[in-house]
Amino acid sequence: MSGKLKLTIYWLIGLIIVIILPHVIGIVYTNVLVTFMMDAVFALSINLLLGFTGLLSFGHAMFFGIGAYAAALSLTHIQGFPLIGVIFISAISALLLACIVAPLLARVTGTAFAMLTLAFGQLLYVICLKFREITGGEDGIAGYDTPPIHLGFTNVDITDPTNFYYFAFVVLGLLAFFMWWLVKTPFGSVMISIRDNAQRVEYLGYRVKHSKALVLIISGTVTGIVGGVYALFHNLVSTDGVLTIFVSFYPLMGAYIGGIASFFGPIFGAGLLHVFDELTSRYTERVDLVNGLIFILVVMYAPYGAVGLWWSIKAWLFKSKLQKA
Amino acid sequence: MSSVVGMYITQGIHGLVYGMLLFLVSSGLTLIFGMMGILNLAHASFFMLAAYFCYAVLQVTGSFWTALIIAPVFAAFFGVLAERFLLRKVHASGHIAELLLTLGMSLVILEAVKVFWGTESLIITVPESLTGLVNLGLDINYPIYRLFIIVIACVTLIFMALILFKTRLGKIVRASVTNPQMVSALGINTPVVFMLVFGIGTWLAGIAGVCAAPLLTVFPGMADQMGMDCFVVVVTGGLGSLLGAFIAALGIGELNAFGVQFVPRLVPVITFGFMVIVLAIKPTGFFGEREA
Amino acid sequence: MNILETRGIYFDYKGLEVLFDISLQVEKGERHAVIGPNGAGKTTLFNVIIGGLIPSRGKVIFKEHDITHATPHELFRHGIGRSFQLTSTFARQTAFQNIRSVVLSRRGIRFNMWRRVDNLGDITNETDEILKKLNLFNERNFPASALSYGKNRSLEFGMAIASDPDLIMLDEPTAGMSRDETHDAVNLIRNLSEGKTMVIIEHDMDVVFSLADRITVLHHGEILATGAPEDIKNNQQVRDAYLGETEV
Repeated sequence: MSGKLKLTIYWLIGLIIVIILPHVIGIVYTNVLVTFMMDAVFALSINLLLGFTGLLSFGHAMFFGIGAYAAALSLTHIQGFPLIGVIFISAISALLLACIVAPLLARVTGTAFAMLTLAFGQLLYVICLKFREITGGEDGIAGYDTPPIHLGFTNVDITDPTNFYYFAFVVLGLLAFFMWWLVKTPFGSVMISIRDNAQRVEYLGYRVKHSKALVLIISGTVTGIVGGVYALFHNLVSTDGVLTIFVSFYPLMGAYIGGIASFFGPIFGAGLLHVFDELTSRYTERVDLVNGLIFILVVMYAPYGAVGLWWSIKAWLFKSKLQKA
Repeated sequence: MSSVVGMYITQGIHGLVYGMLLFLVSSGLTLIFGMMGILNLAHASFFMLAAYFCYAVLQVTGSFWTALIIAPVFAAFFGVLAERFLLRKVHASGHIAELLLTLGMSLVILEAVKVFWGTESLIITVPESLTGLVNLGLDINYPIYRLFIIVIACVTLIFMALILFKTRLGKIVRASVTNPQMVSALGINTPVVFMLVFGIGTWLAGIAGVCAAPLLTVFPGMADQMGMDCFVVVVTGGLGSLLGAFIAALGIGELNAFGVQFVPRLVPVITFGFMVIVLAIKPTGFFGEREA
Repeated sequence: MNILETRGIYFDYKGLEVLFDISLQVEKGERHAVIGPNGAGKTTLFNVIIGGLIPSRGKVIFKEHDITHATPHELFRHGIGRSFQLTSTFARQTAFQNIRSVVLSRRGIRFNMWRRVDNLGDITNETDEILKKLNLFNERNFPASALSYGKNRSLEFGMAIASDPDLIMLDEPTAGMSRDETHDAVNLIRNLSEGKTMVIIEHDMDVVFSLADRITVLHHGEILATGAPEDIKNNQQVRDAYLGETEV
């Protein structure tokens, strides 16, 4: 009883902090928070595959990119395209792409899955790079209008950083909640079982290929929506910004550093990467050198990331307490 | 008429040169995969690393020939270190951890290179004895240096073939590429063999890196195209298959040479499209027998 | 009535004949053991029946369906539960979650994304009932990786029977167990397979004779004899080919 009340209070306090935060930290850090939220949800969607289904995707940029391009293209070419339409078209385009690649990807696991996603990702990258009449190539698409939120009685201008922060928080928060919910459902437990032992799952009457395809489609669609938010935020979509391998690698690193074994690990990891960036960029231009070294250390010594480390520390403390008693 | 034929021949040789370089790099990658089951995402980084070492050695000694010997050995040395102190530790954690580790390595090498040599393109001049053109008949004047690359590649490959087919190490490598369990069953010291294979693989990439340095100039992005093309070669040729890699490398080399002439924007699209089709239809590649 | 039948199964591996005209009938409600010396083709036969091996000739019939080419999830839906020789539980999930995944599948809850799995009360109850039968209720919340080998094997067996299948296929259920563990496992299997149809592949003769109603002996890929345990014990051919070697 009181536990539930406590939880509600915690949630309320959290919500209030989220609402007040942009007014306290200023515009620059509000924008940093928005990029953090995008990275975090991107990392969560990658972890839906990696941590929960045991599939390593090296090509998630394709979903991110197609969502971003769909948003930028429709905003450029359609007069008065509404904000809800942007989210919708990002989701649909990524969903379609996922439906095309899923039948092929669902057949494979392990290294082959990673390679095939990488191949698809690169294929989309070079197509967008070369067909510059449509995509603008390296220069990309820029300068489209960002539509306001229609609230019936008033319009909210999301080119204002604080308003954009609220908008991003709602959209990305809903996506995160959806994924959190998903892993708690029966389908979520199937995902985990596929990660642990796909052959056994098949003998328990589940269709592993269908389930894997479905996870991929869900994860891809979520990533596509994040891509749409990215397009709205940066007002610039280019191949280098949304489709290169690093676009796939960065959230992957975040997910791994945070810890792929827990749902919230990737959020934590995305946050850590931002903190590292903030700290190291004061001393050196080579921020990614530090990130890469940390990533290597995590892969080698902390396979469950920061969250896993925290678990081990807790277990160790608990043990030593027991011994004292 | 003859100028058109000449153009075709010139492009054909261009393609052969790139194909040979590509094969040098991908043969190492495919050997490592065949032996250890690791798709080394950092492989092309060693190619780049060797090019930078070549620049450094040139600065100290001024001799390209010294660089050609020393730089690949340095690259291989780093390869061996990476295998011994990084990859080996995560081998037990499975392929996903290994893939991620090599990904981290590629990132670190890329950034480390920027720290030591900056982001500018560094120019390496062709040694004097190899500058100039040679007349191949039909009014074709072809750069000597590019022909020299073909020679170096052939010499290296013959050397490789001798190791693979005439030595005990080669026999072990060939046996374990087709049947990984057997080697450990025979009581061979696999960790040492792994380390040697990784070293040889990176050494091959290193030779290609030094050879390519005067052609491409040395810059942090030089691993990108090579890495991707190499990935395509290894996948379409079949992971673990040297013959497959050879055919695929020459194919990609020629595709690049002629594609640039006729359908410049479609070359990478064709390359990756082709790979996706191969992976979708026959995941083991054309000549591979083992699935990734 | 025969619930499972193999009709004239041949299987060859790279030109080597492993199975040779195997026609096996398993009646509804019987516990049928397949035994034979190493290399007799027991495991191959098991895999032809449910392990995804396609015989070069012959058919596998289950409840009058041809299941020769059936995929694993189809086999489950026909009502076949199996265990693995190498323990194949979900190592990072609890014993409860392991069994629950079977219960969920039997109820057809496979793609549900709108309910929390922990809130499905009757699923939880049913799973707990099964855990109690398996003597695993105390280990309910332990991950499978933390269970003892014997307990993990019980869980493995539990996953084969949790769907209340019409046919239980067990692949060396006591492999690698100590004498005590084997004893407990045999009791558990005997109690929980009462009245059920079961096919069991086993090395250990004590296990076979204390579990099976009928025994089929394989030798060099052929059926040497089929019959009640007593008949098999007294069969001279079997003694020569097999039992003599192990001095039973």
